[in-house]
Amino acid sequence: MNLLEINHLCKFYGGSLGIDDLNLSVAAGDIFGFIGPNGAGKSTTIRILLNLIFPTSGSARIFGLDVVRDSKKIRSRTGYVPSDASIYDRMKVMDFLKYVTSFYRVDNIQERIDRLLEVFDLDPGRKIAELSMGNKKKVSIIQAMIHRPELLILDEPTSGLDPLIQSRFFDLLHEENRQGTTIFFSSHTLSEVQSFCKTVAIIKEGKIVAVEEIATLRKKQLKKIQIHFPESRNIRDLGIQGIGQAESDRGRKLVFMFSGSINDLIGKLASQQIENLSIEEPSLEEIFLHYYK
Amino acid sequence: MNGILFRMELRRNARSLIMWTLIISALIFFTMSFFRTVLLYQQQIAGMIQIVPAVAVKMRGFSNINDIFSIMGFYTANNLIYMMLLGSIYAIMLSSNILLKEEYGKTAEYLMSRPITRNDIFYTKLFVAFLNVFILNVIATLVGFISIHIFKNTECDFYPFFVISLYTLFLNLLFGSLGVLISVLMKRARPVTSFCIALVMVLYFLHTISRMSGVDGTFGYISPYKWVDVSVSQPGYGLEGWRTAAFLGTIALLIAGAGFIYRKKDILT
Repeated sequence: MNLLEINHLCKFYGGSLGIDDLNLSVAAGDIFGFIGPNGAGKSTTIRILLNLIFPTSGSARIFGLDVVRDSKKIRSRTGYVPSDASIYDRMKVMDFLKYVTSFYRVDNIQERIDRLLEVFDLDPGRKIAELSMGNKKKVSIIQAMIHRPELLILDEPTSGLDPLIQSRFFDLLHEENRQGTTIFFSSHTLSEVQSFCKTVAIIKEGKIVAVEEIATLRKKQLKKIQIHFPESRNIRDLGIQGIGQAESDRGRKLVFMFSGSINDLIGKLASQQIENLSIEEPSLEEIFLHYYK
Repeated sequence: MNGILFRMELRRNARSLIMWTLIISALIFFTMSFFRTVLLYQQQIAGMIQIVPAVAVKMRGFSNINDIFSIMGFYTANNLIYMMLLGSIYAIMLSSNILLKEEYGKTAEYLMSRPITRNDIFYTKLFVAFLNVFILNVIATLVGFISIHIFKNTECDFYPFFVISLYTLFLNLLFGSLGVLISVLMKRARPVTSFCIALVMVLYFLHTISRMSGVDGTFGYISPYKWVDVSVSQPGYGLEGWRTAAFLGTIALLIAGAGFIYRKKDILT
């Protein structure tokens, strides 16, 4: 059953495009990665889902409810971490969390607050104005999770968090997901969601270019290869399978995307004279260009 | 109306309300305390006024020269500046910021992702703004009432006092409604305080100019200051139906317009 469904959603800001004819569905219980470069339309989509902005055309439903007409009901069952928002600076962390909680009916609320504060190692007595960017992000995450929402919408939630806290955060998200929370995770870094999400949608210039199971992406195992030969060579002459479009610098320096077997590649190169070889994780943009150009 | 948001907003705006109330009340009281001195030097002041152009007297807020020597006239002229001008500036500043500050302060996404409707947010915040304006008016009126009691030289009828106080409240609420409308019309998330203060000043001076020039036609009615009847010493002075209707009707229209726009607008981020 789909928990979230987006149908032909469009948003224009005056004459400029936000998102265009966006279609997407997220199954209940999924951990869904929503990936795209900055300005691709990720936050626009999320803001429409929460009725912070209105769609120009199209529709979206969460829990089977319309995001414009039934936004209050949807928000009572949803938690949201904005990508770039400020928290009321004059309040203390605990006062803010209690203020947030007062909007919901939550059992054992103090226990829940204490548990989240412990996970994120946050001092509840501090004023929000005095917190670092990372600590403010922790407050933002806690306020979204405090009422045990059925759907968590996270817009770039890890920016500012140190690796240790990021790891605890992902563990916590897995725990929440096991208890039935669906997670919609927006990020511009594929590597961040690759190990965490079950499904990933790729958005570029306001359009969905692909929706893939992470398992399928993993099977593709795309690598970025750079080879420096002492003299000009044509890589295709080596008969290696899985070489994408190659860029060549006078035939001596070759850069290409590789989706074949690394063993096969190394085996074939072993018999060649090479000056340098590098195998890298490709950037998100490079993966997109490889598969979806 | 949302009780949680109401309490939060009341707390957030309390400091500003206390500050404005203290300043305006102090100004009213201290200015009224000069009334006895004015009476003491009545002859000299009357002589000075003879050489002052009548327009200057009107500009200061007196309907006619003799108002200076009546406690009610003296109060009304000062009330015009302290409550009708400063009170309106407070009202428009408060109301223009009460919704917009969530957007330029980047807190709107936290507020609006809660289970609360746009209507709840709009009317709760508007109610807090109006309540603050009302509290300011009640306290300032009380201070005025006490000041008149303390400094009056003869017994006076308080009916005109309550009428002018009611007109002042209407005027302040009208500017409060105008501030809310301006804030929802904004296309960029930034404070509109300077523009709102300038607007109040322009409308005030428009009214003053119309009084000084004696042009009492439609020109003067552009400014809501013109809708207030300040001739407290005139026989039969009271609350006029058309003035009350003009104030309440305009307030209702401004609020309805602002609410309609707010329900349909994209939150500025």
